[in-house]
Amino acid sequence: MKKTMGAVLLAAALLIAGCWGGDAGKTNLKHDSTAEKGLEILGANVQFDPNVLMNNGEPIEVEFWVWDAEEIFRGIADSFSEIYPNVSIKVVSQPWQDYWTKLPLALQNGTGPAMFCIHNSQHENLVNYLQPYDIALEDLKADFSGVEGHVIDGQVYYIDYGMMSGSIFYNKDMWAAAGLNDSDIPKTWDEFASVAQKLTRYDDDGRLIQAGFNYNKDVKSMIIGLNYQKGQMMFDEDLQTLAMDNSITAENFQFLIDLYEEQGVGSKDFGISDGESFGQGQSAMVYKWGWYYNQMLSNYPDVQFGVFAVPTPSRDVPVAYDRYNGESTLGISGTADEASQEVAQAFVRYFMSNDEAMKELCLRYSIFPAKKTLVNDEDVKAHPVMKALAPNVERLVWPGPFPGVIETQMQQIFEDVVFNEMSVEETLEKGNALIVEDMQGSDFVTTERQYKYAKEMNTTR
Amino acid sequence: MKQKSFPLRRFFTPTGVCLFLLILHYTLFLVLPMLIAFVGSFHDWNPLRGTFSFTGFSHYQRLLTNELFWSSLRNTLVFSFVVIAARMILGLVIASALFSGLTRAKNFFRAAFYMPVVTPLVAVSFVWLWLYNPQFGLVNQILGTQINWLYSKSLALPAVMTMTAWKDYGYAVVLYLAGLYTLPKDCYEAARMDGASSWVQFKKITLPLLKPMSLFIFITSLIAYLQAYIQILVMTNGGPGTSTYLSSYLIYDEAFMKYKFGYASAISFAMFLLIGLLTLLSFRVNQRGENA
Repeated sequence: MKKTMGAVLLAAALLIAGCWGGDAGKTNLKHDSTAEKGLEILGANVQFDPNVLMNNGEPIEVEFWVWDAEEIFRGIADSFSEIYPNVSIKVVSQPWQDYWTKLPLALQNGTGPAMFCIHNSQHENLVNYLQPYDIALEDLKADFSGVEGHVIDGQVYYIDYGMMSGSIFYNKDMWAAAGLNDSDIPKTWDEFASVAQKLTRYDDDGRLIQAGFNYNKDVKSMIIGLNYQKGQMMFDEDLQTLAMDNSITAENFQFLIDLYEEQGVGSKDFGISDGESFGQGQSAMVYKWGWYYNQMLSNYPDVQFGVFAVPTPSRDVPVAYDRYNGESTLGISGTADEASQEVAQAFVRYFMSNDEAMKELCLRYSIFPAKKTLVNDEDVKAHPVMKALAPNVERLVWPGPFPGVIETQMQQIFEDVVFNEMSVEETLEKGNALIVEDMQGSDFVTTERQYKYAKEMNTTR
Repeated sequence: MKQKSFPLRRFFTPTGVCLFLLILHYTLFLVLPMLIAFVGSFHDWNPLRGTFSFTGFSHYQRLLTNELFWSSLRNTLVFSFVVIAARMILGLVIASALFSGLTRAKNFFRAAFYMPVVTPLVAVSFVWLWLYNPQFGLVNQILGTQINWLYSKSLALPAVMTMTAWKDYGYAVVLYLAGLYTLPKDCYEAARMDGASSWVQFKKITLPLLKPMSLFIFITSLIAYLQAYIQILVMTNGGPGTSTYLSSYLIYDEAFMKYKFGYASAISFAMFLLIGLLTLLSFRVNQRGENA
């Protein structure tokens, strides 16, 4: 009898503790009765007015999912809660691998967060569960560049807070040891190959011990940009069918293969991952996107490295320098309750009108800001990646939020050519057909023909 | 006439409640998901977008003509049978050595051989990823080579198979050892009196008597290896190209990378049938052997 009573009491205690814990965040919140806080309205066009009551001043807790930069988002959330003492924002970090399955399912069944970070490669899985921003399009366009590409039926569900693209990262110590200086920074791919040769080292037995350039495991990021440099569009005129099986892609594949096999500046079997190999001091140059800068600082703090702009086929201004992808602002759940949506809408306004918060994120990921007021910011201009990107930003192409399968398959195609010794043309044709099959049923429509200099590009295969 | 009512008292016994919970558990977490997946295999299904439209047998038709499905299946069968053979042969040899009077510190060796089995596969895969590194990997240093094991069309799958066999042979060692301890000693005494050599005793007595254990190891290994994908995910990502794709990795790729759950379910059911058939076949072969 005593045992049974004990068990019942324990179960009851757990139940009460469980219920109690669920509301712990809310109970610490104050009731807010002061709408007029005397605070300044933030932003020029997209504005945030703190002098209103949120949720009628009643305590409310909303969830905010992120996959990275938790401390930055937590800082923004805390400063928002300082304005509204009745609002608590619970920042939940989910690992990237789980994020894209958990988030849409949680949104679908109404248990998801009120707001969350978005990556545009997941656009199709998320768009049905998003609430449009309650910010006027004109205001968004006045403050941010690239808004047009995100308009769906006159509304936006998220826009870009910045553009990420590729640059060449080089090891400064290796550069100096090879007798190179700033004037040797290559402008064309021919110059690049010659610099890479100077940076390549072999031992007495003829074995490669330092690669001048390494692209292993990440050709996928580079190949589309190389095509754009030669004016080759990614998609057919129907704006939906992938058209990577063309002579320009084949030519660029061959160019990369020749860098290793003819020029000897690296090897498919040396430094199996370009990023790691560069960090470990095996490779002198790699092509990487902005996120890599912070990764280098965190994982390999002792490596002295610099960044320069991607070379081009000739010294003339190319049709385009590279591809870029937008880093997205926050998504708002269309399935959350009204009160949470009200908070989320206000938070998005706060985030987008807050230059300091935007700048912190742009610097964290080496993203060129889409917010016009930040373009000439001194910290932004001083950042090495931004410095490399800034002169070419006008000539970067955004193909739209294409599904991730394209990049994965492009990498497989390249591996089939390089490691499995299959013919370039045949593999491209087969691979392209597979991607087209995988994209069947997708609503994706490319925005590459909205590129300012699209008329200079080759619009057919 | 009064109808007999179900005696509720009989249900509310510890056995009844346990049985109910077990049935509930298997229904909710095994039977129901299988049924949903089966129905899903006839649909264009993306749970993330909430799409679920009937497509008939189209996924099964695509599967039959898909080159990658067949190459993955071929890889899976090669992977499974080679690793099972290596696991069983190594397991039997080491178990016999441990069982013999020649080996000392048996408990130590038993624990040592079993240790990789209880180590998480992800961790082991990462360690072997480094062992296979073409520049500073231990494997190349020992062999004096500079082979890029995991990026070679012909060597990548054997390299993953070697790692898997190394990780798992301890399972066979422990089971064979348990089997060896249960063998009747009088058979061996009689054989020795008849002048049978150790090899003849092993071939004519040990192996036949260990047959049920061998069948158990074979079937459990087959079921496990036909579903293997973690080592592929960590070590090769199915590459170079698609040359190390296994069927389960293909299912993972279709479901969680491309979000084509309908097609992934169709592959799952094809694999379910294959595993069932192979298991049945193993039992039949064993039964025929016993009858003979």
